Amino acid sequence: MNASIKIAVALLISLEISFTKSISLNIALIICAIIYLLFKRVNWKLMLYSILLPILPAFGSWSSLYFYGTGDHVHMAFVLLTRIFAYIWIGSCFTFTTNIDDLLKSLEQNFRLPNTFVYGVLAAFNFLPRIAQEVKTIRLAARMRGEVLHFYSPQIFFKAILTSFNWSNNLAQAMRSHGFAEGKRRTHYHIIKIPKWNWLVAASILIAVQVFLFMSPFH
Amino acid sequence: MPVLTTHNLSIAYQENATPIIADVNLSLDAGSFNLLIGPSGSGKSTLLKALAGLYPEFGGFINGAIKLEDHNINDLSIIERVKKVALLFQNPNQQFAMSTPFDELVFTLENLQTPPDDIKARAMAALEFVDIANFKDQNIQTLSGGEAQKVALAICLAMDSDIILLDEPFASVDPIARLELLQKLKQLQQAGRTIIISDHDLAGYADIISSMYTIDGQHLIEVTDTTSYFAKFSAKPANYQPVSGQSVFEINQLSLKTSGRTLLQPISLPIAKEKFTLITGPNGVGKSTFFTALTRLKAYDGQISYLGTDIQTIKLPKYVREVALVFQQAEQQYLKMTVMEEIELSLKHALHPDLWTPAKIDSTLAQLNMAALKEHVIYQLSGGQKKKLQILLMLIIGTPVLLFDEPLAGLDLVSVDNIFTLLIATASAQHQTILMISHQLNGITQYFDHHLIFDNQTLTYEVH
Amino acid sequence: MQATKQSSGWHLRDVIMLTLIAIFFGFIFWVWAFAYDAVAATPLKPFANDITLGAWIMAGPLAGYLLRKAGASFLGEFLAAFAEMIIGSQWGVSTLLSGLIQGIGGELGFALTGYKVWNGLSLVLSTLTSTIVTFGYDLYANGYASYSFGMLVTLFIIRFISIGFFGGVLVAAITKLIDKSGILNR
Repeated sequence: MNASIKIAVALLISLEISFTKSISLNIALIICAIIYLLFKRVNWKLMLYSILLPILPAFGSWSSLYFYGTGDHVHMAFVLLTRIFAYIWIGSCFTFTTNIDDLLKSLEQNFRLPNTFVYGVLAAFNFLPRIAQEVKTIRLAARMRGEVLHFYSPQIFFKAILTSFNWSNNLAQAMRSHGFAEGKRRTHYHIIKIPKWNWLVAASILIAVQVFLFMSPFH
Repeated sequence: MPVLTTHNLSIAYQENATPIIADVNLSLDAGSFNLLIGPSGSGKSTLLKALAGLYPEFGGFINGAIKLEDHNINDLSIIERVKKVALLFQNPNQQFAMSTPFDELVFTLENLQTPPDDIKARAMAALEFVDIANFKDQNIQTLSGGEAQKVALAICLAMDSDIILLDEPFASVDPIARLELLQKLKQLQQAGRTIIISDHDLAGYADIISSMYTIDGQHLIEVTDTTSYFAKFSAKPANYQPVSGQSVFEINQLSLKTSGRTLLQPISLPIAKEKFTLITGPNGVGKSTFFTALTRLKAYDGQISYLGTDIQTIKLPKYVREVALVFQQAEQQYLKMTVMEEIELSLKHALHPDLWTPAKIDSTLAQLNMAALKEHVIYQLSGGQKKKLQILLMLIIGTPVLLFDEPLAGLDLVSVDNIFTLLIATASAQHQTILMISHQLNGITQYFDHHLIFDNQTLTYEVH
Repeated sequence: MQATKQSSGWHLRDVIMLTLIAIFFGFIFWVWAFAYDAVAATPLKPFANDITLGAWIMAGPLAGYLLRKAGASFLGEFLAAFAEMIIGSQWGVSTLLSGLIQGIGGELGFALTGYKVWNGLSLVLSTLTSTIVTFGYDLYANGYASYSFGMLVTLFIIRFISIGFFGGVLVAAITKLIDKSGILNR
């Protein structure tokens, strides 16, 4: 399925469940997401990560409401618990089966996102592995000067901004030297087309969610 | 007709400020090979960026005119411009937007509105010319400096640019890859392309250049007597000893990997205490990774002992007071705002504070040609000044072991001499062990006691 | 200042810089998500969200201050959320939703000044609108409506202090460093 449509569907469903209070819808979505991920043969380690990751925040939200809430807080506590798992698993359906290149290039070709945003974001994301290392380096370099940097030290953010500033300057000049012109027409080596069935599936999923919500026992 | 001309070209960083370079009148013939030599911070990058049409958009203010054949550079669209003049940057890993060489070439050709059916053939032809077709799908961030610069050159070819500008392209390229790249450039020149290359190191140019320029003060000057220039760059004889006596590190079955690739097969060897050890080897071989193991920045296999204790058992806050690294990027080591604030911070943590009296600080700054810069904001210093300050800051702290990762990249010979004079006196007074990775060997080999060569996944001491 | 001169329109360099900063912050706060979990595992659970919230909204005001143009604060916050989702957030797609809400909250503060004032006042306004907008969203979406009035007041105050510290005090300290260094002018 096309990456832009996939993320749009995921976002719309997430937005909807953040305002609805249906435990059964949340659970149904989680089950559908798991089936989809199994069907896509996603690596089991990533699946396990998706199970473990939300346990603490989900439990935190549940217990907050359960112990401190008023009114129908017990129901709400379980809504939040299932909702957080639904967020994660719906998100996984996108993040584990598509990559950022596909998404941005589809947004460029199918939805006319200005190329400045497409390639600016893409270029920055290619630095992702170096950024993790850079944060470590900044902290160790400071230690070697005798200072300890914390996540609330302005210096660590300042250094991060300084690095971002230098890298973005170099990258922008290099991209410009590789013929990139803001807002100018480009040709495309891989042409991305959205087949009709993508729209049909997206619409069906969204309709199915509404129908389910309408008939759900906890509505 | 000349392929590139400038008329009274002046470039400043700010409007109405004193220009970095003034009144440049260049006229370059098609098919010429031009070398631009000069100390760090003299404005070589600035001039090349101006010639590539990056100013004023990226920060420089220009007076005068730049003409490509008979077109004023500002009258050309970006696409027309890059087809005439391409620029290859100093920092190999910060000039690509895409994750693989092939994708970067596709990106470039798409920018030039190349018909989709022609893109693959043009990209492959360019990659094959620079002999890197076999890793066209490898992640660019994992390429060595030399490989990355070959990708950058492939892009200039795919764009079919008439003029190729290269801004210190070999700053992080090993000597072998450097010669390969120079040969490719020579071939391109013989095929009619015009080359302008800036460098601070003259090795390998004597037989291939048609003209040489240098920057003196604000002015660009053509060098007519090139022989005397080349003579300055002859290497002094080295005298490397075998390692004997006390060792500061004992390395035991150490092996190193990076993203699945083996860099170092298990090896055991000592590093001599209170000596100068030089580490050389081709780019991307793993020299910097070796330093990240010694400083515990990254994981490794095997054991490293510091004065008899496994470094993993020493607490980090204590260990960084023993072994410190002078990072490749000077700014990474800064924490304050002005030169003096930085020096004061280092004094606070100095292990031999009695050595660093105010008078000593003043004389050292003078020796480094930085006496007038005490109140300057460090981020406004030139590249060479930043490096000199960084080295001074780390010397003041005075850890028993000091590692240097490419401290001389982009420095001119005078700065290199100043740094070594300071380094030798300080290291002996503070009983420090110095380990240094360097590509640039001109005028420094005589200072080292030992030479460790990193190649073919192993480390060996060279003796002669 | 380079960025102020080209005040209208978005340039490639701005987009790359905002995204890089967003990813950097994503990594620095990687640790912070675990701080949230640490607080969530104590009896302070209901306060965990509000105590730590300030850290998530930093990218917005900083981006606003750095680029000084309409939409910068919103985009900075949204890109930070996007980066966080790609890195692997424990909140999944809802990270993007929160990013949108927090982006709008932070942007409003700068919008109130008509994008003319870039100082402490605009930062204070931005922290205030951030608090109100995100709190309003949580009231409807995250079950906050189930809390008693007294509890809500406490949470609101805690949130304002958190956002005030991270989005106000810390951002002001960082921007002071940026100004002194002069990197935006070079």
